[in-house]
Amino acid sequence: MSGAAIEARGLARRFGPVVALHPLDLDVPAGRVLAVVGPNGAGKSTLIRLLAGLGRPSAGRVAIGGDGGDRRARRARVGLVAHATLLYPPLTARENLIFAGRLFGVADPSRRAGELLERFELGAVAERRVGGFSRGTAQRVAIARALMHEPALLLLDEPFTGLDPRAAALLEALVRSLAGRHTVVFTSHDLPLAARLADQGLLLVGGRGRPLERAVLADPAALAAAIGQPAAEPR
Amino acid sequence: MTVLLAVLWKDLLVEWRSRDRIAAMGVFAVLVVVIFQFAAPPGSAPESRGHLPGLLWVAWVFSAVLGLNRSFALELENDAWAGLALAPAERGWIYLGKVLASLALLGAVQLVSAIAFALAFDVPLGGVAGPLAAVAALGAVGVTALGTLFAAVAARTQYREVMLPLLLLPLLVPVLLGAVRATAALLEPQPLPWPPIRLLLVTDAVFLIVSFVCFEYVLDE
Amino acid sequence: MSKLDSLAARAVLPTGILLAIATPIWLWLVLQAPLDSVQGVVQKIVYVHPPCAFAAYLGFACTAIGGALYLWRRDEAWDRFAASSAEVGVLFCALVIATGPLWARGTWGRWWSWDLRLTLTLLLFLVYLSYLLLRGFTEGNERTARFAAVYGIAGLAIIPLNYFAIELAGGRSIHPENLQRGSLGAGMRAPFWFGVLTALLAFAHLLARRIELAWLGDRAARDAAAAEEAASWGT
Repeated sequence: MSGAAIEARGLARRFGPVVALHPLDLDVPAGRVLAVVGPNGAGKSTLIRLLAGLGRPSAGRVAIGGDGGDRRARRARVGLVAHATLLYPPLTARENLIFAGRLFGVADPSRRAGELLERFELGAVAERRVGGFSRGTAQRVAIARALMHEPALLLLDEPFTGLDPRAAALLEALVRSLAGRHTVVFTSHDLPLAARLADQGLLLVGGRGRPLERAVLADPAALAAAIGQPAAEPR
Repeated sequence: MTVLLAVLWKDLLVEWRSRDRIAAMGVFAVLVVVIFQFAAPPGSAPESRGHLPGLLWVAWVFSAVLGLNRSFALELENDAWAGLALAPAERGWIYLGKVLASLALLGAVQLVSAIAFALAFDVPLGGVAGPLAAVAALGAVGVTALGTLFAAVAARTQYREVMLPLLLLPLLVPVLLGAVRATAALLEPQPLPWPPIRLLLVTDAVFLIVSFVCFEYVLDE
Repeated sequence: MSKLDSLAARAVLPTGILLAIATPIWLWLVLQAPLDSVQGVVQKIVYVHPPCAFAAYLGFACTAIGGALYLWRRDEAWDRFAASSAEVGVLFCALVIATGPLWARGTWGRWWSWDLRLTLTLLLFLVYLSYLLLRGFTEGNERTARFAAVYGIAGLAIIPLNYFAIELAGGRSIHPENLQRGSLGAGMRAPFWFGVLTALLAFAHLLARRIELAWLGDRAARDAAAAEEAASWGT
């Protein structure tokens, strides 16, 4: 498993008359970590969900790991951690993971669930219903859920929001450990964090995207200058 | 296939934990039967008894709608919808899993309310229990097959509780007509007539196939 | 502008002219037609009621097929076609439901009878209404188009099923004899078929206008959204 490369050409998404994402070109080599930064409402979630294959692009195309844009094939290789947890409150953490495993065709869902519960230090709450969890704990289960089928591409939408420091540290360590073997894309408001974790960046403002070098992410002045420049046209 | 079983297991497990759908459906069906008892004219002339099969099916259909409204309720929480939409399997299997879960609930409700119905209206169902169960099942398949598809549609519209019956009921006419005809014949008592059963079988098949295929488009963002 | 939209726009004038020519001819033919010996002048509703039914059923077929083509092609023009067809078709369907009782009262003395054809059309009317309600209560253009397409397909599949269902319930009895069996007397065929032609012309003309209007509306919304976005940038 070496991750899956992302290739997007002219990727755009419209909701009726409103353009959420203007045509975007994107290249992320396999195993890299991409940080998508930008203000609220810039289209970061839209992009993440398009990459996950949850909706059809209004224009352009995106291929993950050379799948040629086939959304169904892509779903087997993508794990998504969204704003919401995607969990079922009446089920326990373990049951939620096993269900996800079965949905994704994981070979031995129980064993895999056990592994992930341990890795995320969820052993104590494994048999408790998710409905009662704090945001941070639920988020950890959600991340475990996304990893059940060992996706080549992991997408994280604002994953650090609402996490306590310990969980945040756990997540940071996780992203670091995944890098190289998996491709990771995450959105964040936290620029220093993005600079720490990412190999490359994408700046989204008003639905228009522009790639950023890692160095620019770390440098507030360079970033401000980048925001000020007009976006380049896609090829 | 695993996906179908997984969805079925998950829905039934969730239902078992709270039992809210089946309780609401069961109480509602029995209530309808009881209220019809008071709505029927006193003395229960033979002519009015001809309406009884229809009443039973009305109770079952509206009870089914009540249950179907909640079919995708949990998916709307925590964006679990996306969780289903992300599954790489053929989405029709998710649909079938949901249908089977709703069928299981409806079947249980049909059984209980049939007993209430037999008691309230003094209708001997014992002799025709087998064929009646078959008719009840065929009708239930028709209702839940299309109902599950539209429950998924209605769940993401405004006024979703009203939207489901609005969408579903005009399309249930073939199911209702076939089921009521067959039930009426059984209560005469007469042997089970073929034409309504044939209609039910064809309708169920059409509903299942159309819904299986169309569910793909409903699950998208 | 999609080819379908431009076809509709160009069809407005020709269909309008043809309709303007056909309508007075049709009226003249209807007035000239001989009186039915049994039913009297009421029988002249045959020049309105069945022609409108043709248009109503054609309308729904267009709605369903337009929806299916939208799902296949993902071209918004097909959704406009489907939606417009539904709006025009429901009008003709309402006319059928309205003229039916007039005819029935005049000939059989009853306002309504649950006979096969009228019941079938009533059910079609209800499906039309539900379709339009679904469109009205769903948010998001793409989702509305998809949901409506699914409902349209289901609604079309139901028509033959309803036919057999109502027949099973004994709904054949009262409706006037099938036209193929020559129940139209001499001198009635021309106005009848001309009535069908006029109704179809009216349907085509209204449909073309409605599609054009829908396209203009969509374009205006898109321009407004683009203008608003540009304004938010201060450019």
